[in-house]
Amino acid sequence: MSGNGKGSTDLDARINQSSRSLFLCTTAWVATTAALGFGPKLWWDFDVTLTLIALGLNLIVGIIMLTANFRHLMSMDELQRQTHLEAMAITLGVTFVVTVTYGNLESVGFLEDTQPTNILFVTGVSYIVAIIALWRRRTSE
Amino acid sequence: MNNKLKVLRAERDWTQADLALALDVTRQTVNAIEKGKYDPSLPLAFKIAVLFAMPIEQIFLYAKEA
Repeated sequence: MSGNGKGSTDLDARINQSSRSLFLCTTAWVATTAALGFGPKLWWDFDVTLTLIALGLNLIVGIIMLTANFRHLMSMDELQRQTHLEAMAITLGVTFVVTVTYGNLESVGFLEDTQPTNILFVTGVSYIVAIIALWRRRTSE
Repeated sequence: MNNKLKVLRAERDWTQADLALALDVTRQTVNAIEKGKYDPSLPLAFKIAVLFAMPIEQIFLYAKEA
């Protein structure tokens, strides 16, 4: 979604820089999430201090990742930004509806074990689909 | 909202990419504005007006949506 098709611009440079920053922060967050998820069992035998450190680190890096995501959003040009914000709004609605329905499937006995992580999959897919659909609708020649 | 962006750009023999570069937006944004698929923010509309050295109301025309 970036680029004017003509050399490098301030906008391109801005987006490239914020993308790199977001990539690094996301990688760090995934690493600390993995450390928190697997560390207690595999590396430090459920030591409470180390688990608390991993938990704190995971939260701090998560917050840093959120700010990097916000900076990335602000670095975009206004059409890109609006597209992302509208996609976020659609994703929020889809996630809300699917979460309530999915939760009810367990309470009415259609599912035995609902996994919250499945909702993340729905969130990711709906965000990607919404961005592609909105961007194509606005930029079709 | 209607606009005369395409006409003004053509008068100056600028491409969409040239205009995008001058406005620090993507070419797709210029295209979307020209086609009426996206209304620019007030700051961007003023930036366009300054670039073409014209009053903003001579470039952007309010039209009631059907």
